[in-house]
Amino acid sequence: MMQDWCLEVWGEYACYARPEMKVERVSYDVMTPSAARAIFDAILWKPAISWHITKIEVLNPIRWISIRRNEVGKIMGEPTQAQLEGKSGDSAGFFVEEHRQQRAGLFLRDVRYRIYGWFEFIPPEKRKPRLSQYDEFWADSEEQTNNTRSDESPAKYAAMFERRAKKGQCFHRPYLGCREFACNFTLVEGVHPIKEKINDDSDLGWMLYDMNYEDPSCPKPEFFRAYLENNTVNTDRRTLEVRS
Amino acid sequence: MILQALKGYYDRKAADSESGISPDGWELKEIPFVVVLNENGSLIQIEDTREGEGTKRRGRYFSVPQGVKRSSGVAANLLWDTAGYVFGITDLEGLGEADKKRKLSRLIEQKKAFIDRIQNEIPDTPRKKALVAFLSGIEQSVLEKTLQWDDIYRTNPNISFRFDHELMLYCETEGIRTALVAKAGSKEYDGLCLVSGERDKISVLHTAIKGVWGAQSSGANIVSFNQDSFCSYGRRKQQGWNAPIGESAMFAYTTALNSLLSRDSKQRMQIGDTSTVFWSAKKTQFENDFTYFFAEPSKDNPDEGINHIRTLFDSPKNGYVEDPDSTNFFLLGLSPNAARISVRFWRRGTVGEFAGHIRQYFKDLEIVKPKNEPLYYSLWRLLVNASIQDKSDNIPPNIEGDVMRSILDGTPYPATLLQLVLRRIRSDTENRVKPVRAALIKAYLNRYYNKEVIQVALDTNESSDSYHFGRLFAVLEKIQEEANPGLNATIRERYYGAACGSPVTVFPTLLRLKNHHIAKLENKGRAINFERMITEITSHFNDFSSHLDLHDQGKFAIGYYHQRQDLFTSKKE
Repeated sequence: MMQDWCLEVWGEYACYARPEMKVERVSYDVMTPSAARAIFDAILWKPAISWHITKIEVLNPIRWISIRRNEVGKIMGEPTQAQLEGKSGDSAGFFVEEHRQQRAGLFLRDVRYRIYGWFEFIPPEKRKPRLSQYDEFWADSEEQTNNTRSDESPAKYAAMFERRAKKGQCFHRPYLGCREFACNFTLVEGVHPIKEKINDDSDLGWMLYDMNYEDPSCPKPEFFRAYLENNTVNTDRRTLEVRS
Repeated sequence: MILQALKGYYDRKAADSESGISPDGWELKEIPFVVVLNENGSLIQIEDTREGEGTKRRGRYFSVPQGVKRSSGVAANLLWDTAGYVFGITDLEGLGEADKKRKLSRLIEQKKAFIDRIQNEIPDTPRKKALVAFLSGIEQSVLEKTLQWDDIYRTNPNISFRFDHELMLYCETEGIRTALVAKAGSKEYDGLCLVSGERDKISVLHTAIKGVWGAQSSGANIVSFNQDSFCSYGRRKQQGWNAPIGESAMFAYTTALNSLLSRDSKQRMQIGDTSTVFWSAKKTQFENDFTYFFAEPSKDNPDEGINHIRTLFDSPKNGYVEDPDSTNFFLLGLSPNAARISVRFWRRGTVGEFAGHIRQYFKDLEIVKPKNEPLYYSLWRLLVNASIQDKSDNIPPNIEGDVMRSILDGTPYPATLLQLVLRRIRSDTENRVKPVRAALIKAYLNRYYNKEVIQVALDTNESSDSYHFGRLFAVLEKIQEEANPGLNATIRERYYGAACGSPVTVFPTLLRLKNHHIAKLENKGRAINFERMITEITSHFNDFSSHLDLHDQGKFAIGYYHQRQDLFTSKKE
């Protein structure tokens, strides 16, 4: 098993919307494992690795803020068959000003977490089939027969992640639950135990663990019972019961 | 967590047989009229359950099988419904010909749907046969002879049935209950409920929540997905699947919330535009008394609220009366948005924590005041005295919620509160610093600095200059009042605003005027006394500031108020 990496992440606002209240959004009390996973993904993701979150430490007291803001109440339509065939027609888009609506949200304020995760290395034969319609391209036959991804190893990705995280590099800006709540991060090395009790221990109820994408046409939500103990939520799949 | 806590409240209530909360699959409904039948199915009378006077007459509440969620289609409830469904007759007056025709055919459909449900869902008994026979054979001419027919015809009220010599409604009888429970037990499981974590039948449409102030009277939803953009992964067609909640959990949370929000509930409060409900995990006295801490005392029994607040102070350091400190206490603030309900705030804590914060809130407001003032100010009274013209219509929309949040969290009050009350003091030339306003400013400042910066009564050792400017102003005003009794406009009317904004521009003038006023005083001892006072006050600062910021203006107001109270209190030697 790979080591547990630790990232410290923080930001002014965060919203981990509960599925039952995602229209007039209400956040979960703490970060969900899937949101933590997305932060690791933002720093390094390849089809060869899949991140697993083991625990989330809550470093700031849980504070709330209620905000009303404008949102758009429509999703993009798909192009018509005629348009796909290259003919012009009515635009599939829409004018946002006509679809604005004001919605309320109950968000978290001034959050700071330490998230711990490890990645699983997925050997080439177990990866999801590529969506490309073309065959894989090789420089020559030697590459194909001898060298097929011989350089690929968990250690390589571990080094890549460490290097990227240390430098603050990311593929896209990580965020705290919603894209608009940008997240700062730093790689934490060594052990930094939490000295004082910041949040009361509590039962957070059933929380979204992640979506199960096994059937891409209909991803299914998975839930786990979250407890905040010593400022820490245990999210290790190997020790938890995750129901779906 | 919110839904879970609500479900917890439902479970607590359901376990308590006296609570009167509906069991799964049932709801409390107002049934103004009950049709009484004999065992053969002939009409004996129509009973009027309404009480009260005039337009406020309301029917009694009965426990009936849960109603269906209706939009535009025809869908009947079981054994109770509106007159249109039960009799197939309603008032069609004022409709056009085409509408009338459409309505009439719809009424026939409605009545058929109503009878069908009884036929299909109730086991065969002689009573069922009698009821169906009665429903199929209704004649308007017979109904018209009953006393209540006029009201029923006009208002289309809910109607249910009772057999003669029975106390409960037909739908409440043992036979019907067991039949419905058996039906509920046989449902299929098709998903994981995110509230209970168990497999259950996922509810597609949730029961509407009624009683949120400002929302549609027919009810609105917390969990609803009425637009494509709300739905994940194209789950448009199966709305509830966006947030899988089992039917029993759905029933529990909606029933709990509806009962908390109901008109007679003691566990609701209106805070600004937010309807707030609160409950504790176990039965506590605190949840029953909570409203008294913030509500304006009732005119009938003004001491009731005071007694509760006093109990709060007398109860041990944390907790309330005999409630265990560690009992969880929940507060949920809801406000309407379009056809949905949005959560404005959600607080979870313990009884001890909340009691402590509320105790602190009253402690911060303590200030010396005249005898006829109320001992404790309600939240409404605080805010109304800080608003334009002292009218509750003018309380700014967000402030009440913000202040409430500060109280419950024990955090500083919003800065807008201080601005509001200072502006009001400037514009209210007649009263200026009322006791309630002074209390508010004191509470604001003490919370802001998180310590006792401002004392309850006059504090000659106060370190800030602005406090002493305020005191000086009060003394100068008093001198003028005594020199020229019955004056229409004193320096309070004319100079208060300028004095607290930029003291240097007015105080020299006021001190010059003072000399003229003091000369007029007949009692020379009094004059000397005043001069001595002024010397004492001016010894606290070197110079008049050119400008006071908001906090200093607040201290000015408090200094003025304290000094004035002190001048009017007889001194014990």
